[in-house]
Amino acid sequence: MSCDFTEKISLLIDGELSEYEAREVQRHLSGCAGCQAARADFLSFRTEISSYGASLNPAVQADALKRILGQSTDQPRVAPVKPKLGWSWNFAPRAVAFASLILVAALIGFIVYRAAQNNESSVAQKNPAPVPSPTAQIASATPEATPLASPEPSQTPGAPGAKPSEKNPSKPKSVRRYPVLPNDGNNIANLQPNTDVAQPSTSANNAGDIQALTAMHFEKSELLLRAFRNVRSTKPGRPVDVDYERKLAQQLIVRNMMLKREADAAGDIQVASLLESLEPLLLDIANLPQGAGADDVRVINDRVERKNIVALLQVNSTMLARARDDDD
Amino acid sequence: MASEDEEFTMLFQEFYPSLCRFLECLLGGRANLAQDLAQESFLQLHRTAWGTLPVNEARFWLYRVARNFALNEFRKSNTRYRLFDRVVEVMTPRSRNPEQEYETRERQELVLQMLRKLPEDQRVALLLREQEQLSYREIGQVLNVSESKVKIDIFRARTALRESWTKRARAFHANAGSQGTLEM
Repeated sequence: MSCDFTEKISLLIDGELSEYEAREVQRHLSGCAGCQAARADFLSFRTEISSYGASLNPAVQADALKRILGQSTDQPRVAPVKPKLGWSWNFAPRAVAFASLILVAALIGFIVYRAAQNNESSVAQKNPAPVPSPTAQIASATPEATPLASPEPSQTPGAPGAKPSEKNPSKPKSVRRYPVLPNDGNNIANLQPNTDVAQPSTSANNAGDIQALTAMHFEKSELLLRAFRNVRSTKPGRPVDVDYERKLAQQLIVRNMMLKREADAAGDIQVASLLESLEPLLLDIANLPQGAGADDVRVINDRVERKNIVALLQVNSTMLARARDDDD
Repeated sequence: MASEDEEFTMLFQEFYPSLCRFLECLLGGRANLAQDLAQESFLQLHRTAWGTLPVNEARFWLYRVARNFALNEFRKSNTRYRLFDRVVEVMTPRSRNPEQEYETRERQELVLQMLRKLPEDQRVALLLREQEQLSYREIGQVLNVSESKVKIDIFRARTALRESWTKRARAFHANAGSQGTLEM
């Protein structure tokens, strides 16, 4: 006695049909004995189920309420939680532990890989190519006289023929891919592009690229810091508009980190230290709030002034650009 | 705090009996367990969500939590509870009209038996519809399922109950017929 309308009968008695549909089903119902029987049965079940009386004692109910209120005052309330919806996250702590393990393993792997890469590059630099350039021949003939321009702070600035460290000849040479100024910026003229190390051409190209990138980065950072120095509030006491500077700083941070890593890998202490002192300033600018006050800007500008970083950036970028031109 | 408790008491008085009934039907007539779980659900509500949950949603929250408690009970070995329920049932004082009470009990037992045969999701949906008069949308909200699933579940539950009833009626008539033949 099943009819296509039986499902609609179920919806009809639940009031889940639209007015139009309900009228249509009612019309069908008047002429279909099967659906009439189904409707009667469904309604009969409804009566039976809804008239089911729970065996509940009022005293038990009162007792339950007392216990709930009592227990809740005994125990502190906990943070609201969503009721469990079917699928539970019982494995979550294990999954988190497993994910952490994978992350740690990946990190270690990355560090080992970087270290291996650095070793390879230093080995390549120590053992030059079989057909070295004339300068390399000289360098290999007199290794102790290699004029490595390692700008140690102890060295007297302005001494072009500064002798290499004879005290510790076994110390590995600090390999530089491009010359950089010491922080005091006085011995610009003394620094020459590094020609003592013969490197494979690809490595040289990479060094050149990084040199260019660093120069560009220094220029951009310098411009940013100059722009930031000139930031003024439109009216006293009103927030300063530093949106442009903030965005630019955010972009430069990533580049700064990357270049610092390269400088560290190349053993270029000067560039690395300049980038390192630049990084917190970029971070501070990038993390300025939307409506930063004039005081926030002033604090950063004071630090820029104290570090004299704008001048250092300018000098270093110029030198790097010049060194690159010489290379070309 | 006092007004919060008063509000909670009102909600409790209004919904505790119906929650007990819902759980009792869901658990196949285990009244004591149903009362325990209803109490546990209200305790959970009072301790965790009360105050942060809109009052009109508290009801759905309660039914959802109560259903999850019931599901946990299904998963557990339930012999202990069944035995305990039987003992309590025997010890419970009877009403003064044993005939009427017997009839009511028979009917209730029949309803429970038929409901027990339904799959759990169909049973819950039907109970929420017939006892609590929740709309399909509200049932979907409680069970975290779509309205169309609720619609299908309720229809299937009704059809299954109908089939079960028809079989029972046929068996009853066949039995009565054979007894009649014997009597003759």
